[in-house]
Amino acid sequence: MISCQTFRATVRPGTDDSNVLEHLRSCDACLDHAVSIDPDFFFRSIGGSEMVPPGGVDNFVSDVMAQVRMRQTEGSSMRRLPLNQYLRAAAALLFVIAGTTGVYRFSSVAPAIAPITTAAVQIHKPLTTKAVVETYQSQNATIVEMPTASAADAKVVMIYDDSLPADL
Amino acid sequence: MTTTTLKRTGFLAAMLLLMCGVAAAEPKAGDNKPLTVRTFTFKYKDADKAAAIIKPLVSAEGSMSIQPSANALQVTDRAENLKQISKAITEFDAPAKAFRVSVRLVSVSRVQTPAKVSDDLKDVAQKLSMLRFNAFENVGEATIDAKEGDPGAVEMASGYRAEFKLGEYDPTSDSIKVNDFHLSKLQKDELTSLLKTTLNLGIGQTYIVGASKAPESQHALMIVLIARR
Repeated sequence: MISCQTFRATVRPGTDDSNVLEHLRSCDACLDHAVSIDPDFFFRSIGGSEMVPPGGVDNFVSDVMAQVRMRQTEGSSMRRLPLNQYLRAAAALLFVIAGTTGVYRFSSVAPAIAPITTAAVQIHKPLTTKAVVETYQSQNATIVEMPTASAADAKVVMIYDDSLPADL
Repeated sequence: MTTTTLKRTGFLAAMLLLMCGVAAAEPKAGDNKPLTVRTFTFKYKDADKAAAIIKPLVSAEGSMSIQPSANALQVTDRAENLKQISKAITEFDAPAKAFRVSVRLVSVSRVQTPAKVSDDLKDVAQKLSMLRFNAFENVGEATIDAKEGDPGAVEMASGYRAEFKLGEYDPTSDSIKVNDFHLSKLQKDELTSLLKTTLNLGIGQTYIVGASKAPESQHALMIVLIARR
């Protein structure tokens, strides 16, 4: 193997000199020097023309091509996926629109029904209620309205007034 | 696979947010509805009395003002409330309606050995059992026909006398006001005032208005009133 001094004296960009390339693979300092002259030396240090992959070049090439075809197949199947996704998205969107329309209908129909119910109630039920005894002569009296089981029941109101005569 | 799942999850989340947003954006009934002003002019009744009657129907946002010179009432409220108010006012502002008022006086007591309750007092006896009254005596009854605003008076053989003035019919509570109901009793050629009150009677409803000195009193007078159209 040539010395470092000989290498640095003979190294040229794009050289095919086997001695130079052999030295390049074994000496890191000279590799740095050669890369500063030509960056391609970095790649050329990995292997040379004498490097043969296991099983031969033809097998290596066919393996590489098989990998390339496999990636192409995956790529084409990946390109079809968005179409399926579009269909799913369209179905989901239709579902959402149908659901939203339902929400709108429910919201808009409900107030329309409410007045009809209210109107029906108005016929049978008073809108307000009033105290039976609105005013009484004495401020010191206690007026008690008894609870009733239903609205139709007779209402009992008691006036307790100390100023009333005992023999009412 | 993971990317696809993430995309699907993200898509569903976006749709859910969209749905929630649409539901939230939908305005609720009654929100931000504009107020409307309407003036009601009265032909048969007074505007101030009408104001007292419709007051419970006016919403918190609404208001009303009386115009005495025109006998009118200006009401500001939501349209749907104004419909209800207008209906009540139309029913209120009508020629004086006629009513039949029945007055029955029942003397009640708590005694050791109660007598059998007569058939005509069983309804009252049943209602007053909760007050532990067990002796009942009918001391008089009368019926009077009167129109709104008319005075009424009933005299009973037992010496009791009831006077009153029929007030306005309130369509919102389906009741008639009995103003200045004055009960008195003739004792030794002298009319003694017993009680004076103003009552609101629901149409067709039976009212038992009792009077006694105290809850523990052994005796009370019950005034049974019914107003019918």
